[in-house]
Order: sequence, then structure tokens, then C-alpha cells
Amino acid sequence: MAEVTLQDVVKKYGTFKVVHEVNLNIAAGEFVVLVGPSGCGKSTTLRMIAGLENISAGTIRIGDKVVNDVPPKDRDIAMVFQNYALYQHMTVFDNLAFGLRNRKVPETEITSAVTRATQMLGLEPLLARKPFQLSGGQQQRVALGRCIVRRPQVFLFDEPLSNLDAKLRAQMRIEIKALRERVPTTSVYVTHDQVEAMTLGDRVVVMKDGWIQQIGTPLQIYNRPANRFVASFIGAPAMNFMKVELVEELGVMSAQAEDFKVELPLEQAAVLRKHGAKMVILGIRPEHIRFGIPSDNSGSSFSGVVTVTEQLGSEQVIALNVADSTMMASRISPETEVSPHASVQMWVDAKTLQFFDDKTEMAIR
Amino acid sequence: MIALALHALRRAIFAISIAAIFVVFVGPIAILGVTSIRPASGVFYIWRGTNFTFNNFVEVLHQSQVVEAMWNSFVLSTSATILSLGITVGSGYMLSRFGGWIQRSWFATIYIFRTVPYISWVLPLYLVNTRLGIYDTYVGLLLPHIAVHVCFFSWLMKGFFDGINPSMEYAALIDGCTRWGAFYRVALPAAMPGIAALAILCWLSTWNEFLFALILSGKRTPLITSTMAQFVTETGTEWNLMSATAVLAMMPALLVTIFGQKYVIRGLRM
Ligand SMILES: Nc1ncnc2c1ncn2[C@@H]1O[C@H](COP(=O)(O)OP(=O)(O)OP(=O)(O)O)[C@@H](O)[C@H]1O
Ligand SMILES: [Mg+2]
Repeated sequence: MAEVTLQDVVKKYGTFKVVHEVNLNIAAGEFVVLVGPSGCGKSTTLRMIAGLENISAGTIRIGDKVVNDVPPKDRDIAMVFQNYALYQHMTVFDNLAFGLRNRKVPETEITSAVTRATQMLGLEPLLARKPFQLSGGQQQRVALGRCIVRRPQVFLFDEPLSNLDAKLRAQMRIEIKALRERVPTTSVYVTHDQVEAMTLGDRVVVMKDGWIQQIGTPLQIYNRPANRFVASFIGAPAMNFMKVELVEELGVMSAQAEDFKVELPLEQAAVLRKHGAKMVILGIRPEHIRFGIPSDNSGSSFSGVVTVTEQLGSEQVIALNVADSTMMASRISPETEVSPHASVQMWVDAKTLQFFDDKTEMAIR
Repeated sequence: MIALALHALRRAIFAISIAAIFVVFVGPIAILGVTSIRPASGVFYIWRGTNFTFNNFVEVLHQSQVVEAMWNSFVLSTSATILSLGITVGSGYMLSRFGGWIQRSWFATIYIFRTVPYISWVLPLYLVNTRLGIYDTYVGLLLPHIAVHVCFFSWLMKGFFDGINPSMEYAALIDGCTRWGAFYRVALPAAMPGIAALAILCWLSTWNEFLFALILSGKRTPLITSTMAQFVTETGTEWNLMSATAVLAMMPALLVTIFGQKYVIRGLRM
């Protein structure tokens, strides 16, 4: 296990900068997830750590060694690729043994290392097969096995689950998590799937257009997103946004839009007053919008017109038209009868609201 | 009723088409085969008469020039295949994996060579070869063949490597290989079915090649295709001997068709 440090790391293709001054300290044994939309530079960042891509500026350290000019084979890392990248002409056993053989490990040791890994991943019956004789999930497991037999300093994962179907993906996610316990290793995991980011990461790094937007634990990212992008990217259904006007009446501040008014608690009002803007963006998580009438006076009511309902069995998700914008409300009891086009009463607890600057889209705190 | 008639008509058209294709492709070869086992007196009326003989084969195999030509063609095809594949694999890999001005100019060069009609370089080559003193030698024949193969097959080779996901090589780099090792131990074995198919095509194309053989080879290094044409003499054409030689020359292609076809198709579909 080693720590990994990225200091002002930049990647340019020609004059086009695809990764901007990335600073990231990954502790030994930590599992960090890089997440972001397609093309945001997460793979590029990972490939720079792997040494498959040279860096245009900055410093990368693995352990206490600067690896800027160290070729991949000498970085003591292992990587799982999106398409598994198994050696097509080799058996599963040879695939697993390849890295150790390159390092001139004695064959008896190789056999025991491979056996240990195959037992862990349930690959024993497949050792003599070639990759094309394996299902996608099995190939993925071999790719994981190829990582763990080597016992490297760092694991790198580039969207390892995105070629699997939803059910298998959920299963492999759990296996990767279980594997973490058995083979604790510093890991960097790239995905565009926010569920993977939330469930696997000790810390999550959200990226967009080559810039890091926020670094934090999954709960920090979810509960205190640094800006509107992070707020909308993490969470499903996505956070609802609405442009509101802040109005003060008799010392009470409220966020208002047409047919919509929520009175704000004192601390929040203080923060917003300090910020100064009249028009701000209000963010509400779908699960914070509740159906019906608040049981005590901590909630603010508003009404909306139902456009679509989605029955999921465990919950209901409904889309509402509120003050000319669409809002999603989730975690509505599946038994609640809601019919499209009906006008319904909803409420929200003002303490759960988030505010973002209208221009910079940064969270107002 | 009408549907039934249409159905019959469609079947008839299908049968006729198959027959036509068969006649066009198999007909000439059948005539060639029959001619090769007819005595010299029977070649103009091959569908008449019942004298058949293998003497034509015996006779051509006793002509030292035919045997020598076959040997020469074999040596030339084999060495051209080995040497051009060596270059083509490197060139195809480079074109597939690397960018830069060297790659671009190489690409442009082979592209230009491909567009120039083949026949327009044969005569200049004759002059070059005589000037260099390699006219009618293995080297003089080998070099143009290699050049042609490299130009034509680099593209196919590039296609094979394009079809191999480079992340396999990245995995190898991380698994402890150098760049060369990743190519040699991972990309090359993965491209092997394609390379084998290309080797067969390469060998056959040199074996069957006529224009270079006609212009660049002479008495010292006769080749099978040009030798075949020499049965056309001032006193007439010895069709029976020519056909026997042609049948012999067809054998490698036939063997490939029978035994190697599946392999070639699998390789080219890679
Ligand atoms: N060889 C290259 N030349 C020029 N631009 C490139 C090259 N490779 C990647 N890019 C650009 O760099 C940016 C980041 O690419 P990267 O592969 O890191 O994205 P990503 O976040 O992994 O996306 P995805 O989720 O689609 O894999 C993209 O805009 C891409 O177009
Ligand atoms: Mg990517």
C-alpha cells in the first residue's frame, strides 16, 4: 500500500487542456472514486497515474517516489479496464500469471498466488479457458484477479462495471467492496455512475470539463454539494432547481416564486442576507418533497399539478408542475392515490433547502 | 395459382443463375483440365474423342525449364512472403498505433504507390534492374514483389491491429512489459490469425504474378507464369502442354482453397 499524490497535474493535447491543475492526496489504503460526465477527463487522470499518458505539467508521486518519468511497468500498479483487456490468446491461468512471470517470480509461487486469487473470485473451473469462452462477468472477474495476484501498491479501475448488465453490475459492486476488505490496497476508481461512486468510495472526486468540482466523503458530497453541478450530478432522481426571489417581510425571509413560498429559518436567512443577492437558485432533493400537509409547523406547503407518476413498488416518484418548473418528488408512499393532472398539496422542510448563486452557481454557505 | 407459378419462375431463374455462374467460373477450368489430359491432336475438339493421356504432365515435368521455373517461383514466393510480412507487420502496427509526421509520410507514400497503375512501374524497373545488374536474378525479382506487398498489405495489416483493442497492450505495459514486449508478446500473437491469412494471400499473389515475371525474369531465373506463356511459339501453340503446366501451377491455389480457406476467411474477418 502506498499513498498517491497528484500536485498541479495538467494534461494538454496540443494546446487543448483536458485536465486542469489537479491536486489530490490519496492516503495509503484509501479508495477514491473519480466521477463525472463523459469526457470530463477522469480516464485521462487515471492513465496519467498509470503512466500510460505522460503529464504536461505537475508532479505525481506513488509512495514517496516521483513517478513522472517512470514507465508503467516500474510503477508497481495494476489496472482494470472497461473492456477487461484480457490477453485473447492466453488461457485464464496464463492471463493471471503473466505479470508475475514478467517479474521472474518462481513458477511454484506463481501457482500458489494464482490459486489464492482464483479461490477468492470463484474462477477455479475456468482456468483452462480462453477469454472468448467466458461471459462478460467472468471476464471481469479474471481482470480483477489479474490485479490481485500481483499485490501491487495501487489498484486503478477504469469503469470496470460499465459493460455489465444492471443486475450483474450490482453484484460485482458488492464483490469489489468485499475484495477491498480482503486485499486492502490504495485504489483509484473511475466511473460515470454516481451509485458506484457513492457506494464504493471512501472519498469521491467529482470532475467536470477537466476541473475538480469537489472532493469529499459520499455524504459530504450528497448533503453539502459545492455547486449546482455537483448537486445535480449526484443523486437520482436529480435535485430540483428553481429560481426564487428572496423577500424579507417583518424580519422573516422567504424564498418566493409564483405560487410558491417557503419561509426560511433564521440561520439560513442570515447566510443569504450576507451573500446579498436577491435572486438565487433554490435546490430541493426529490426525497425532501413530501405529500400532503405538514404534521407540525416546520414545513412549508405549496401546491403543484401532477404531470406523470412512476410506480416503483417500493415508492412512487411523481413529476409536478410548480411555479412553471418541473419538480420530481420521490419516496411518495406507493399506496398514495395520485392521478395525473390533479392539483396536489406538497410540503417541504425549509432546513433541507440548498441555495446556489444565480451566476456562479456556487453553493451559498 | 399465380403464386405457385411465380414461385416456380423464381426457382427457375435461381437455377439458371447458378448454372450461369458455374459455367463462367468453372467452365474455363474444366476445359483447361480436360485439355491437359488430351493428346496434342485432340486439343481442338476436347468434347470429342476418347483418348486421354497423362503424357503431357510427364513431358512438361521432363522439360528442365518448367521444373526450374516451379522451383524458382516457389523460392521467390516463399522468400517474398517472409520478407514482406516482416515489413508489413511493422508498418501496419506503426500505422495503427502511432501518429506523427513519419507515420503520415509513410502512409502517403504507400497510398501514392497504390494509386499508380502497376504496369507503369514495370518498364522503369526493367531499366533499373539492368542498370544495377540484378535483372533476371532472385534479388531483382524479390525487391519489386516486396514493395508491392508492403504497399498493398500494410493496409490490411493496419486493419488487423485496429481491430485489436490497444488496452490489451496497456495491460501488458502495466503487467511488466516494455513497449516492444507489449507488441511482441501480446499484440502480435493476437494478430496471428490475420497474419497467417495474409501469408497465404501473399504467397499466392507472388506465385500467380505475371507481369513482373514476364518483364524482369529471363532464361536464368524463369518463373512458372512466364514459362507457361512460352508454349506459344512461332509454329503454333502447344495447348496440351500449356494446360498441363497450368494445372500444375494451379495446385498450390487448389490446396489452399481446400485446406486453408476456412483459415483465410477467419483471419480476414478478424
Ligand atoms: N488522444 C487525444 N487527443 C485529443 N483529445 C483527447 C485525446 N484523448 C482524450 N481526449 C479528450 O480529453 C477529454 C477527456 O477524455 P477522457 O477519456 O479522460 O474522458 P472520460 O472522463 O474518461 O470520459 P468517458 O466517461 O467517456 O470515458 C475528452 O474531451 C477527450 O475528447
Ligand atoms: Mg473514460
